[in-house]
Amino acid sequence: MKLGNLIIAGIVTGSIYATFAVCVSVWYRVSNILNLAVGDFAMVGALSVDNLYRVRGLPLPAAIACTLVVVAIFAWLYDMVVLRLAADGRGRAEGIVLTFFFTFALSFFIDGVAKMLFGTDVHAAPALWNGQAIAVANLHVDRAGILVLACAVLIGGMFWLYIRYTLGGKALEASGENAVGARIVGIDTRRYRRLIFVATAVIAAVFGIVESPITGYTYLSGATISLTGFIAAAYGGFRKPGRALIAGLSIGVLEALLGGYVSAEYGDTVMYAILAALVLAWPRGLGFESAVSG
Amino acid sequence: MTDEAPQDHDSGDRPPGPVALRVAGLSVAYGNVTAVHDATFTVAEADACAITGPNGNGKSSILLGITGMVRRRGTVEVFGTQAPNGDVRWMARHGLTLVPERRQLYPDLSAWDNVILGCYSWTRSLGRARRSGSFGRALDLFPELKPHLQQAAGTLSGGQQQMVAIARGLASNPKILVVDEPCLGLAEAVARRVYDALARIHADGTTLIVVEEAPKRALTLCNRRVEVRNGVAVAGVTA
Repeated sequence: MKLGNLIIAGIVTGSIYATFAVCVSVWYRVSNILNLAVGDFAMVGALSVDNLYRVRGLPLPAAIACTLVVVAIFAWLYDMVVLRLAADGRGRAEGIVLTFFFTFALSFFIDGVAKMLFGTDVHAAPALWNGQAIAVANLHVDRAGILVLACAVLIGGMFWLYIRYTLGGKALEASGENAVGARIVGIDTRRYRRLIFVATAVIAAVFGIVESPITGYTYLSGATISLTGFIAAAYGGFRKPGRALIAGLSIGVLEALLGGYVSAEYGDTVMYAILAALVLAWPRGLGFESAVSG
Repeated sequence: MTDEAPQDHDSGDRPPGPVALRVAGLSVAYGNVTAVHDATFTVAEADACAITGPNGNGKSSILLGITGMVRRRGTVEVFGTQAPNGDVRWMARHGLTLVPERRQLYPDLSAWDNVILGCYSWTRSLGRARRSGSFGRALDLFPELKPHLQQAAGTLSGGQQQMVAIARGLASNPKILVVDEPCLGLAEAVARRVYDALARIHADGTTLIVVEEAPKRALTLCNRRVEVRNGVAVAGVTA
């Protein structure tokens, strides 16, 4: 039963990585920019709901609504001001600077603000679904875990349906593939970039709120989540949300198994060694080549 | 280099119809380099107009200026409505579609996806796009693309990619189709096939503007010609 419980725990963690990986790769598809701040939006979601609910005494639904609205407005402003100047303006930045550094800086900025507002302690949003872990034949499933999984399936499925079965989804892909070609047929590439950026920021915040009762967040938690999501996205060449999803789930399960059977202390180290070895052994199959060459 | 107006050679037999495209005093500059200087011409509805001239004399820049891919000076009117500066999407929505130089397809998307995205200029519904006459007509024009529709556009041959680009342009249901160097780098047989398709598009009543370096081929199809040779003045651009 240990194996079963470890796999379930792994799938829950993995679904978080998978969701962040999907967010990173969907936005990369439309904008060709890697969003390294996606985890920080999750952190803001968790800590801000905690702060509004526990410290300021707002009712929980109001705290959640407030947080999501603020995150959405902030993401929208960031796109309108910073990305517009950086990517569309007269002295626009290109290449690696735009790909990495604008969202890297955003990540530091959010961390700094969160430290000021919420302090440095570990906090978590209140659990949305209270009660004991659900037991099915000796397998224990956390209620928060079920919520996380449900959110991941819902969000992954929605993105998949959108990209696969709507003209807007195809236009989103076209924007990232060839911005000139997209504008010719009337696609507003900036609008899609903004839409997906705001959507992924809000999705990340929702995940932070749902997941934080399991692990607890500090103002620095965002970077770790971003990193693992980023690695999972890299396994899909940053352009394939479906592959990123599978990679995220696998990394979660691998992490849990290593933690359970190999060593709780060195599990992460072994995991990163395995991930690196896979990349070296099979770069093309994992999509790294397309990630590097564009 | 001289600054003359571009010359119109009206060799058409039919009487000129209402004006589809009116370009007046069009100038395009890249930084300090002027690529197009004071171009003025009109294209009547149902015309097939060739824009010819040597490489590097600003033929493509005229198209970029008209469609709004780059900012311009001067005015452009489509069926009597003045086009805003620097707004490509306006052009696509008002019936003028560009099939650009180097095709500008979406290489990782399938050929089918590439073509249907042409419909984005008039609908957001995939179902309506798929059932539309313009999409069906675009696919019917190139039966040889049928076996390759699920293939990624980037893996198609040059000729097939050009057909996909033209089909995408047609799917947007244009009143004016502007094609930039459709035969660049294509084998003679494929180039003839592309021109056959353009002739059919024109015969169906679409106003056609074709940019060609080689006037001979263009004039087999076109009844009008705008010559760009030291005329639309070019400064400091080499071929």
